[in-house]
Parts: sequence; structure tokens; C-alpha cells
Amino acid sequence: MSPDTLDALALSLRVAVLATVVNALVGVPLAYLLARRRFAGKALLDLLVTLPLVLPPTVTGYYLIVLLGRRGWLGAPLYAATGWTIAFTWYAAVVAATVMALPLLVRTARAAIESVDRDLEKAAYTLGRSEWRTTLEVTLPLARNGILAGLVLAFARALGEFGATLMLAGNIPGKTATVPLAIYTAVQTGEQSTVLVLVAILTALSCVVLVAAGRLGARAT
Amino acid sequence: MSERLEVRILKRLPGFTLEVAWTAGDGVAVLFGPSGAGKTLTLQCLAGLLRPDEGRLVVDGRVLFDAGRVDVPPQARRVGYVFQGYALFPHLTVADNVGFGLRDLPAARRVEKTAEVLERLGLAEHARRLPRELSGGQRQRVALGRALAIDPALLLLDEPLSALDAPLRRALRDELRAILSEWRTAAVLVTHDFTEAYRLGDRIVVYDAGRVVQSAPRSELLWQPASEPVARIMGIRNVLRGTVVKATPDRIQIRWRGQLLEAVNSPSRSYLPAADSPIAFFIRPEYVRLIRKDRGAADPSHHMNLMEGAVVGEEDFGTTWSLRIRLDAPGAAAQGDHDLEVEVPHLVYEILEIDRDRRWQFSIHRGSIHVLPA
Repeated sequence: MSPDTLDALALSLRVAVLATVVNALVGVPLAYLLARRRFAGKALLDLLVTLPLVLPPTVTGYYLIVLLGRRGWLGAPLYAATGWTIAFTWYAAVVAATVMALPLLVRTARAAIESVDRDLEKAAYTLGRSEWRTTLEVTLPLARNGILAGLVLAFARALGEFGATLMLAGNIPGKTATVPLAIYTAVQTGEQSTVLVLVAILTALSCVVLVAAGRLGARAT
Repeated sequence: MSERLEVRILKRLPGFTLEVAWTAGDGVAVLFGPSGAGKTLTLQCLAGLLRPDEGRLVVDGRVLFDAGRVDVPPQARRVGYVFQGYALFPHLTVADNVGFGLRDLPAARRVEKTAEVLERLGLAEHARRLPRELSGGQRQRVALGRALAIDPALLLLDEPLSALDAPLRRALRDELRAILSEWRTAAVLVTHDFTEAYRLGDRIVVYDAGRVVQSAPRSELLWQPASEPVARIMGIRNVLRGTVVKATPDRIQIRWRGQLLEAVNSPSRSYLPAADSPIAFFIRPEYVRLIRKDRGAADPSHHMNLMEGAVVGEEDFGTTWSLRIRLDAPGAAAQGDHDLEVEVPHLVYEILEIDRDRRWQFSIHRGSIHVLPA
């Protein structure tokens, strides 16, 4: 394998793992809030989180540029303060993958949390547990398989992300060119062997992911 | 009797208002009534899982809730709750379920206390099992043990027997009764089954559509339902309507289906309806007497409230027969195709050969006609 191919693989794994970790940290609390709490703007939050699932990835990527680009709503003040911008760094690939994967985790985890019998939580309250402790000791352990299935799906989505990554992070070999982008480049330049290797690896990984998610899903019910 | 429990709740929900007030002394108070009457909502208010709009909840002098002033959170109420369907933690063993509320105890004490509760409930050998590996009766005991382990000031039980099969229900009803009387914790139990309410309750509070229609010691409720709606909720048979002829403090004469019935009035209730006003009453089917034909003609001076009619239908309940009787009187029958339901033991049915002989005289003692105040 060429160094570029290996770079692409290493980068993709790093991006997907990091995006999955961020998904776990942000997505699970978000799923809990959407499943169990009533608050103002809940419908809007739900819509925002879910939107990347149906929007064309390039549109999501465009919004990310508007938000985080050097002249973006958040990006401009950041650039003014530090002289650094996230655009066209590998962090941008992580952000793009995270946003694209989030709806998969949140929807799966939310359904898992909603399926936990509320009487179990109420029982925990009457037995002295705070809502926080109840979530840790009762709700999340019982929703565990659903949450794990969601994380597996999120990982797969992050690994395969193309459009939004291209918009925000670009396609810089060795820097932001993840496997899907490397495949695109290789096809364009006619590097058949690279294409075959990368395609085979992604296909195999996707199969593993689907089987894993299927098993977790089966155990969750 | 000192009151241990004082409940006053006003809670408005979309399409339903719960407005109840009742008190209870020692023992088990049963909330009895049809589904959707607000019984479970009352338990949730007592447990602190639902906040009333108005009201006051006091257990043994400790104020758990006083609108606008006190609202003890559920974690601090020390109220044991046995949920309908038990709500056992499926991912924890029996021992961990029972010990769940003992987290604040030192580890050694917690283990000791858990073992003690398991022992008392006969669950010691199942300590390491998961709830799904237990029978329905064992699950009920785990749920009870978990609620009792915290030494609750008040125990709440929501339809504790409804998850069980009929034969098991009966056995576990008596087991539950024994456990409740052994633990001596003030308890509130919800049921829509009157037999269950009567077996388990010392006081029965009858709920209907978010209100209390009667609260009485169980025997008083059984023999003196406060009104016709209460009698119907209790599932009492032969709830009938007639016209008052004359009412005195100890007798009431009622005209019904062409008969003049004489009933005992309760002096303690001093219910004296005006003549010609409508009146509801009930006659328990097992208290209607069939007059034997082999002992000569019936004697009106001996047989009170004598009447005559025919069996128009019958149902076999295994140990008893329920006969539908139509009286010899013109006009529509009181209850569809019949006027009275009469229950006789199988033995009597056979001896009197009721299957062949369909015409009978009946008499009802005046003490067996129960007047339902309007």
C-alpha cells in the first residue's frame, strides 16, 4: 500500500473514533433529554439534530462553513482572537463526521431510553436515588444495548462521511483526505489498485458494523 | 382510633380532576373503585411522584406535602411503593433489588439487612437470581421486600395481585395479608376487585371518577353502602328501585313490582324519606329463601315479604346455582328478563329438584333488604 493509502486509513480511523467519542459525550445526554424531559424548544432541538440525516451532506457542509469557516458566525471571532481556523484541518473532518453521525446515535439511543419502563425510574426515586443516580444506575444500563448499537452506527457513518467533510475540511492528501475522499481521488486519477484495497476495507468494516449493530439491537429488545 | 394517614388532594389534569379527602387509622386502607377513578394518581401523590395542585398529606404526624409550604421529595419520603407489575430492576439480582434502597447504610449493615428481609420473605435461596427467572409470586415478594427493606413509614401497593393467574391470586392474597399484618406498616392498597379489597383492607375508600364516594370500615361498607352508585361500583347484585310507602326510624315499607316489602331501617343513619319518593335498595341473592313445598303452605305471618314467581333462567357457578326469577306481577321485569337473582348451593338445588320444578314462593327477611340512601 502507498503511504497516502495508509495515511488515509489512519486518518479515517482517528476521525471516526474521535467523532464517535464526541457523539457519546454529546449524543447520549441529548438523547436522554429528548426522551425524558419536556422543555421549551425541544421540537426545534430535535429538528436540528435530525436534519443532517435528510439534508444533502453538501448542504450540511455548507452550513458548517457558514458557522465555523474563517468568516463564519463562530469562526470569525475565533480567527480574530487566535489567528486559527478549523477549516481545512483534520479537526474539521471530525466536526463534519460528528454532525453527520449524531442523528443516528440520538435517534437510536432515544428510542432505547424511551423503552425503559418509567416505573423503574420512579421506583428508584422512592428508594432514595436522585434523578442523576437513577439515570446512571437504572436508565442507561437498561438502554445500554440500544445506545451501543447507536454508537456502532455512528462510527460507521463517521467512517464513510464524504460530502460535509469535503466542504469543511477539503481533500488534502495526508491531512484531511479520509478513505472515502481518497477513493474519490484514486478513481479520478485511475489508481485502480488503491481503489480496490480501500473499497474492500470499507466494505468489510461496514459488514462487521452491521452484524454488530444487529446483534446489539436483538439483545436490546 | 387515632388517624395515621391524612390525605387531601386536588389535582387537575387534562380531562380529569382528582379531588379526594380521607383519613385512615392502623392497618391497611384500600382504595377501591373502577379503573380510571384516580386511585393510582393518589398513590403517586403520596409517593411524591406527582405534585397535587392543592392539599395536604400527613403520615403519622409527619407532613409530606402541604401546598405551597412543604413538598418532601420522593427520595426523602420513606414511602415504599409496590408498583403494578412490580417494576423490579431487570438487570439486578434479587438481593440487589431488595438492597437497592439501602445504599446509605454501611456495606456490612446493608448485606445483613438485605439477608434479613430475604429470609423473612422466604427468598434467601433466590438471592442471586434475576427477576426474569422468578415465578409471579416470587416477584411479588421481591417487590414487597424491596419496598419494606427501607423500613417505610408508609407502604403503597398498586394492584399487587393483578399480574397473577387466578389460582395464584387467591393464595398470594392471603400471603400478602399475613405479610402486611406481620410488618405492621401503615399501608394503602389499590384494587378494583371487591373480594380483594374486603380480604386485605381494614378501611375501604371507594373511588369513582376522581372522587371519594364512601370511606368506611370494611364490614360497614359491605352491609351499608352509602348510596346506589357505591353499591353498583361494589358489584352488588339485585340493586333495585321502588317507592317509599312509609318510613319510620326502624322500618321502611317499599312498594316494588306490585309487592309491599318491609325493610329494616338503620336508626343510626336516621334516613326518613318522604312517602311516595323513589328509593333504592338491594337484596343479596344468597339471602332470598325458597319456600319448601313439602312442609305445607307458606305462612305470611312467619315468612316475611312473601312473593311468588318462576325460574326463567339459571347459571351454574360450580358450587352454587344462580337463578333468575320473574315474579307474578304485571309490567316490565326489574332487571331485563327477570326481577330477582337468587343464589342457592348445589345441594339445595338438587334436593329441591329445581331443574324440574320451576315455580316457587320466595321470602326475604326484612333484615336482608338493605336501603340505599339517596
